[in-house]
Amino acid sequence: MYSLHLSPEQLQIRDTVRDFVAREIKPLALEAARLEASARPLLLQAIAKASHIGLRTLALSEDLGGASADNLTCCIVTEELAVGDADVAAVLGQTSTLARALFESLMTAEQRARFLPAFLADHGYHVAFAEHEEGRDATLGINYHRPQASGPRFSTAAVRTGDEWIINGRKDRVVGASIAALFVVRASMGGDRAATLLVSRNTPGLTVTADEASRRWRHGACGTLIFENCRVPAENRLAADAARFADQGRRIPQEEALALGIGRAAFEAALDYAQLRVQGGRPLIEHQAIGAKLAEIAARLEVARAAIWLAAWASDHPDAFADRSLPDLPLTTIADVFAREAIYGVAKDAAECFGAMGVMRDIPLQKYVQDARICLRSGMGSSEAKLRIAEALARYRRPASAAVLAAE
Amino acid sequence: MDFTLSNEQRVWQMTARKFAEEEIRPISLERDAIADARETFDWEIIKKGSRLGFRTMAVPKEWGGHGTDFVTQALVMAELAKADSAISKTFSQCWKWSHLIAVACSEEQKRRFLRPFLEDDTFLLGKGISEPSAGSDNRLPPEDPKAGLKLKAERHGDHWILNGEKCFIANASVGKLFFIDARTDPNAPLRQGTTMFLVPRDTPGMRIGKVFNKSGWRFYQNGEMIFENARVPHANVVGAVNGSDMKTHAAGDRTGGDLFGDLELAANALGVCDDACALALTLARMKTQGGRALFEQQLIQLKLNKMHLLTEALRSFVMRVAWEHDHKVRSANAGLCMNFSTDVIQEVTELNLDLHVGAGVLDRRAEKLVRDAIIWSHLAGDSVQRMKATRRLA
Repeated sequence: MYSLHLSPEQLQIRDTVRDFVAREIKPLALEAARLEASARPLLLQAIAKASHIGLRTLALSEDLGGASADNLTCCIVTEELAVGDADVAAVLGQTSTLARALFESLMTAEQRARFLPAFLADHGYHVAFAEHEEGRDATLGINYHRPQASGPRFSTAAVRTGDEWIINGRKDRVVGASIAALFVVRASMGGDRAATLLVSRNTPGLTVTADEASRRWRHGACGTLIFENCRVPAENRLAADAARFADQGRRIPQEEALALGIGRAAFEAALDYAQLRVQGGRPLIEHQAIGAKLAEIAARLEVARAAIWLAAWASDHPDAFADRSLPDLPLTTIADVFAREAIYGVAKDAAECFGAMGVMRDIPLQKYVQDARICLRSGMGSSEAKLRIAEALARYRRPASAAVLAAE
Repeated sequence: MDFTLSNEQRVWQMTARKFAEEEIRPISLERDAIADARETFDWEIIKKGSRLGFRTMAVPKEWGGHGTDFVTQALVMAELAKADSAISKTFSQCWKWSHLIAVACSEEQKRRFLRPFLEDDTFLLGKGISEPSAGSDNRLPPEDPKAGLKLKAERHGDHWILNGEKCFIANASVGKLFFIDARTDPNAPLRQGTTMFLVPRDTPGMRIGKVFNKSGWRFYQNGEMIFENARVPHANVVGAVNGSDMKTHAAGDRTGGDLFGDLELAANALGVCDDACALALTLARMKTQGGRALFEQQLIQLKLNKMHLLTEALRSFVMRVAWEHDHKVRSANAGLCMNFSTDVIQEVTELNLDLHVGAGVLDRRAEKLVRDAIIWSHLAGDSVQRMKATRRLA
């Protein structure tokens, strides 16, 4: 049964993280220098402390050394972290859920034995997913409701030579690139076949650079990976390739939860200010115009959270689609299309409550607007999301060769 | 109805278009990218524009200005804003207050201030109303005398002594002459207890504080002005003591409110929208997916449609308000047009950015336009500005 009662554990985790954010992240995240978009190195100390309270290994099962948090709990934690700092939330969220996918389902026992001990032992060990490439967007666009021409999936190529893979190419917008110890890299093997390879940070032929452009597309202090005859052992290929990446329409809505946290931070700031600032003889919130604006902000946040939690719960209970409890729809994409735009509106309206100060870079409101705008970019975009939902509504199925791309 | 421009209007428009494309656009992004808010300004562009008349074009002919009409001013603001909204605003800020000098200042004051303004390419004007604790209270003053601006002016013989602080003041760090509203009767409500003073930059006791670090409109300087026993001669009182809102009386327009200012923001927004439309259309034609121009896609067409219909509606409204100003037609249209321009500039620049992002293009100019447009929320379209326009209807 669908229930909105959080378990005692979930409530405790939420309170712990909220307290952690207030004490350890907010004071750093809101320092004047960090309000400028160009001056935001990752808060490494806060990320390390978060690992010590278990947030890096949150989703990993208890058997393997984690906390076995389900997707809903992960989304709650991501929202809380993003109230403090979007980059911290993005990096920890990725490591936590990607580690679960890797160590529990994508790796062989042999691979797990090679990588898991180091991951558990080192609080600074992060994993990062490298898929995006400049100029190769997997957008539907012109291919909406049409079969797509197949071809190499990625310009990054992996060629098998003896017992090694040789990788050449470039991946951008990699979350946590600057600190990840292990990269999960998607590459073409020729034709329309793709491989997923594990590449350790110190592998010769791999260069990691922080680049400004990547950071403007996604949260998580993103960077670029450049592969030049980068050789990895044959046994670093993930066998269970498609499993992790199939059906993005029903994935964990973690990026959406991150956006929600940004919106909440903006809302909380505006609500405080509206109760303190007096104009027209009374606090701003007592004026109809501002009261109604704050009400609308609260409504958008609550509706966004409801959609995100539903999608998160659904991703924890895939059988609920099978037994017809849930509609046969890409619920995460639906949450996505609503939440990202709603929260951008939230941030802008919250800034507006601050009058002229709301447009200044010296207070966090413009940072929240900027951060929310990055959330608009980091997803597929609302047009694209709607086209994907529409294909699902029409039950459109691509011919097999093109289906892989559409599944993502 | 005749929408034809006169030859003179056309010449101003074309001169502005050429100057904007050849001189302003090339420096627009580089000025925007400068991190220190104090360093974004560029005197060269001001001098060049001033020599073409863009600083003084609103000064009446009998005082040696160009005496352009409102339609011409709207055309020029839009053309300049097409290349850079903040640079356009820096010029038009001078028109705003040269209107005021012409209408509200005495002959003697005009001789003292208008003449040097006309002669000096670097003579910029500003106006100080806002204070840290008085923003909306200045726009829609409550009856309570305690509400609103606090800068105090006390008369000592032939001088007034000013004490207090102004913030967000346009051109604060670069202007040579400011119109400063100060309280001269602390026991009266704002409108009845405030006097406007002409305060030259070199006034003893007045200094410039910080320059505000805005998200957009980086070129435009908004700063603090700090008054510590600043001495201003009585001869610098504009109009009557305790009569600072006389600018609207004197302009003969109680319905249009700030007769020029509302039109100014709307016309500036129009230029930004024109730029956004042009960028979006170019992108849609040039960028391809699967060998076909993005323009062929329905969702792209619908976005372009929205951008253009809003922009053209704004153009109609702006030109109508400018024409109404020239013909002394009284209405609430200037305020409504300014409010409308907020909705339009923000939606159009967001759609342009959205089209770029959707095409995988990170375009600094598209981002800049969105950041520039944000200031409209505060200046032109917040709930106070909307209620203010509405109250002119009642």
